[in-house]
Amino acid sequence: MNIRFTLNGKAMDLDAAADRRVVDLLREDLGLTGAKEGCGAGECGTCSILVDGEHRLSCLMIAAQLSGRDVVTIEGLSEKDRLHPLQESFIRHGAVQCGFCTPGMIIGAAALLKRNPQPSREEIREGLAGNLCRCTGYQKIVDAVEAALLPEEKL
Amino acid sequence: MRQVRLPQTLADLWSLLNKDPTALIFSGGTDLFVKMRADKVAASTMIGLERLAALRDIREDNGDIRIGACATHENILRHPLIAAHLPVLVQALRTLGSPPIRTMGTIGGNICTASPAGDTLPPLYVLRAEVEIASSKGSRSVPIPDFIAGPGQIRLAAGEIVTGVRVKKPAEFNLHHFEKVGQRKSMSCAVAGMAALLRVTPSGAIEACRLAWGSVGPTVMTDAGIENFLTGKILSPDTLSAAARQVTRMVMPIDDVRATADYRRTVSGNLLLRLSGMENPTIELKRQSPSEGM
Amino acid sequence: MDIQIPEIGKSFARPDAAAKVTGAEKYAVDYYGDHLLWAGVRRAEVAHGRIRNLDTSAAARLPGVMAVLTGRDVPGANRQGIVHKDQPVLATDKVRYSGDAVALVLAENRETLKQAIDLIEVDIETLPGVFTVDEALKPDAPVLHEEHPGGNVLLKAEIKAGKGESALKDCHILIEETFDVPMQAHAFLETENGIAWQEADGRVVLIASTQAPFRDKWEISHALGLGMDRMRVISPYLGGAFGGKDGATVQCFLVLAALHAGGRPVKMWWNREENFAAGYKRHAAHMRYRLGANSDGTLQALHCRLYYNTGAYAHLGGEVMALGMEHAGGPYRIPHTLIEGWCVYTNNPIAGAMRGFGVAQVSFAIEQMMDLLAAKLNINPLALRKKNALRRGDQNTSGVTMTQSTGIGDCLAALAENPLWLKRNDWKQAAGPFKKRGVGVSAVFNAMGYGRGLPDSAIAKIELTEGGRIRVYNGVTDMGQGNATAFVQIAGQILCQENTRIELVQPDTDRTLPSGSSSAGRTTYTYGNALIKASESLRRKIIGRAALMLLADTLDHLELLPGRVRDLQSGREIPLEMIGSMMAAEDRICISQFLMPVVRDKLDTGKGFIIGFPHLIFSYAAHLACIEVDELTGAVEVKNYAAATEAGRVLNPQTFTQQVQGAIAQGIGYALYEEIKMEQGRLLTPDFTTYHIPGAMDVPEISSQIVETWEPSGPYGMKGVGEVGSNGPLPAIANALADACGIRLTCSPLKQERVLEALSQSRREGGS
Repeated sequence: MNIRFTLNGKAMDLDAAADRRVVDLLREDLGLTGAKEGCGAGECGTCSILVDGEHRLSCLMIAAQLSGRDVVTIEGLSEKDRLHPLQESFIRHGAVQCGFCTPGMIIGAAALLKRNPQPSREEIREGLAGNLCRCTGYQKIVDAVEAALLPEEKL
Repeated sequence: MRQVRLPQTLADLWSLLNKDPTALIFSGGTDLFVKMRADKVAASTMIGLERLAALRDIREDNGDIRIGACATHENILRHPLIAAHLPVLVQALRTLGSPPIRTMGTIGGNICTASPAGDTLPPLYVLRAEVEIASSKGSRSVPIPDFIAGPGQIRLAAGEIVTGVRVKKPAEFNLHHFEKVGQRKSMSCAVAGMAALLRVTPSGAIEACRLAWGSVGPTVMTDAGIENFLTGKILSPDTLSAAARQVTRMVMPIDDVRATADYRRTVSGNLLLRLSGMENPTIELKRQSPSEGM
Repeated sequence: MDIQIPEIGKSFARPDAAAKVTGAEKYAVDYYGDHLLWAGVRRAEVAHGRIRNLDTSAAARLPGVMAVLTGRDVPGANRQGIVHKDQPVLATDKVRYSGDAVALVLAENRETLKQAIDLIEVDIETLPGVFTVDEALKPDAPVLHEEHPGGNVLLKAEIKAGKGESALKDCHILIEETFDVPMQAHAFLETENGIAWQEADGRVVLIASTQAPFRDKWEISHALGLGMDRMRVISPYLGGAFGGKDGATVQCFLVLAALHAGGRPVKMWWNREENFAAGYKRHAAHMRYRLGANSDGTLQALHCRLYYNTGAYAHLGGEVMALGMEHAGGPYRIPHTLIEGWCVYTNNPIAGAMRGFGVAQVSFAIEQMMDLLAAKLNINPLALRKKNALRRGDQNTSGVTMTQSTGIGDCLAALAENPLWLKRNDWKQAAGPFKKRGVGVSAVFNAMGYGRGLPDSAIAKIELTEGGRIRVYNGVTDMGQGNATAFVQIAGQILCQENTRIELVQPDTDRTLPSGSSSAGRTTYTYGNALIKASESLRRKIIGRAALMLLADTLDHLELLPGRVRDLQSGREIPLEMIGSMMAAEDRICISQFLMPVVRDKLDTGKGFIIGFPHLIFSYAAHLACIEVDELTGAVEVKNYAAATEAGRVLNPQTFTQQVQGAIAQGIGYALYEEIKMEQGRLLTPDFTTYHIPGAMDVPEISSQIVETWEPSGPYGMKGVGEVGSNGPLPAIANALADACGIRLTCSPLKQERVLEALSQSRREGGS
């Protein structure tokens, strides 16, 4: 079927099987490999994307559902040469190890900050409960999200 | 390849359903797409309800609260009407899945999946929720225990969908409580869970109570005998222990990979004990106006 | 990225972090390629059996199927295995666990692949299986490997020191207990995968998520009969591994597939279920302990019998057990020991390397033994550990003289001053209704490197590029531990160059040099030592060549500075770009090899081990867990956690802390709920819905204290820190549980159901 939607700010008009998983569409058809697949069942969060600003799992969405939506993947979070404050903060605070969860984790954190601009550490943990990380033990991720809340000069 | 339809209006939906009454209906897709990946979905046509604005609203209706079937868990969790009147549901929703599952999954989906571990179900049972059902021919509503027939089994005829769920404001209860026992805190599936609505006087007397347990039977378990036993007694460890013993005999859990039936049985009773020391009400009884909501 | 000159000892952000946060980093799984084919295998689905017939004809006829291959199509030995070559690439006669592969399919797309795999008909005569160590050791037990002389015992070995177990009879106090730990899954997020293709000249290129690209080449060569010059293996950054990608996963399948793909790229990507079914696991173990001490708490004698359930194939099972045996007595002085081990084949998934390689298991046992002893003597458990802690110059429980840095005493001392320890009684008393609180400690260690019998070597290569940049050719996979970061720091420190001028080449058998596997806490140590030497050579070389261009008659006044060489006397400078363009290609490269030192004691024990015993260098840690137990549900919540860790000098405090915190989170999962459950070799926990790893709400804030020592053999005095942290949480939490409510669980995980049962049993016993 023909699907029109916005992807990382660009209008898309493409043909895809209506029931094609969005994660496959992004990675295989569109070459956006920032969203990963870690379980295919909604348990790990590595395939996270923003749909109309909300945190969704691209392994549990099909192509037809993208129609008319505004989709942002990790590739679209930064602007040109300027990283998103969360991306900057993840680098600075050592929130990245193997990095496989990182794109999904940053998408999840971005959605969290949109819902709750001043989360406590506990709220950050709750907000990221759908994104598994096997490397960091989460503490530096929480540090990074917390620090991204501060004005730039305090970083 | 399957056909996927996302009707925008109910009229479109009814016409699609008339053409293909066997079409598979989905809402958030968080359960269906997992099953689809495991090759457990045979249907060739799927109809998604996500674009039906009429099914998404949460509002007051004749003094009741009506939640559209396609309201996501996140929408419900953040709605002031729900926060003001249904803390028991809020507590349950906070433990449901994970943030992305809550932004995708819907209450209608949770009801129709009819998992014994469905997190919204024990609260909906104690709230005496009515499930609203519609088809091209009209609408009806049934109490939730009559709608859910067993694990994954619901009483929905071909051509019908669940449009919403309606609850009366539980104004007579001042203690809302929900607890879920999972294997971990993040994103866990309930091994056992209990929802409770109580009216407790300042001196600790239980004037009214409703209780429901999840994951410890084919559907949510309730028992009027236990509720009657507690009513009129003091909210004390002794009373609760006595009731807990009855709970362990009432529930009908199974062994599975998450826990044994014995554990589920013991914990079902133990969850009741948590109420001791909870004389402080969750909500003020006097609060009536939704505009004063939190 | 901040521009800076990397320095040893200072936190330095990963050079790979920028690409990882934007989604630009390409893991093996992110390669697709034009005209891609998908490969997959049909697995036995039978735990033990004899293949009677294999019919692939229907699958081969399916449109979109390029090839269906069986064991008969494997051109080489069709055997893989790091130490014992006992695992077929594609089984031809017997299957020994349900994940054994019997046929390999190449198809145009994933849907066709799945259909074709389902169309393969495998007729297997089911044989009785053995799943537990007890079943496998029965005299009449079915045998997995008929040709193996030891029957189902892959390896039986013993370590003896002093008078051995006979010394137990002279001890004032004897503690006896039996412990059991289950299989654990690595649960890295990037599941096993790779892509391979055949080039026009017939060579095969394999990009795989692997911890050991050089060893893979040898393994593939043997199994497929392909000359080592006929292939190239590339290992990009890994999406986690933790030991689980240290061995054969997709490599032989993909190279075999590429040989039948007519030059098209072939991709194989195990899904999560396949990762659980066919990926490696941490060994389940059964451990019987007898520990003897004097009445003042001085440890005297230890006897252990350790049984490691190694699954269907040898892989690294014997070596895992060897390391467990070497650590069975903890980081303590125990003069008389007898440690016996049996590594046993069963019809379960293959057990192998996992962070804390055999040691996480025995740590559960010895650290509870220490608390049992402390309770019996009414001594503070931290003081008992401190009293017996190994010091430099002591002999460890294998009789090896501790000639290197030995900081367990300092770690224990640091923990003793931690506020969580000092204020533990107040904290415990503040528990709410239906909650009990407890505080437990553990002292752990982990050896570094391969041990004797195998050279632990790395060959560093560093280049001044023609364009004047510094390029480090990393030969050891970075699976997330950050060794590549350390290499940039080392090169930057020695060559005084900004991080933006330093490039990394990740392991590639055509471009980098054999440097061993990414394992055993050895990556930064071994390659780092080699890189120091190579970088110093390059520094001298750059200065020497600059002298030619600066017309300097001595090197004494020349200094390598960021982007240039300066004559400090004349003030004249020459940019690296110019030096690089002047130098011949072979002149711009420096290569250096490092070989890890080995134990020099002449030991009359451990002769049963083929490789991997004994070890010379260890890292140490003391852990403290503050837990809260819910008396109504049995749930254990870790509320606070502290670790004091000694791994020599710290090159990068940020990556050091990452390793500590990450290992502890994995350890908390292992302690509380992670457990592969099986029934007759069939997984009951086949996915992330049933096998739970900790999420963000399940790990507490972890305070990580660095206890520095100096390891003279290490690069800048460092030792590996990746593994030691995994060994502490399970025993610390078990000890905290005993402290909280007087129940001692000797069978892990310490899951809520087990805790609740133990609580009610202790109440029944207390009440009777």
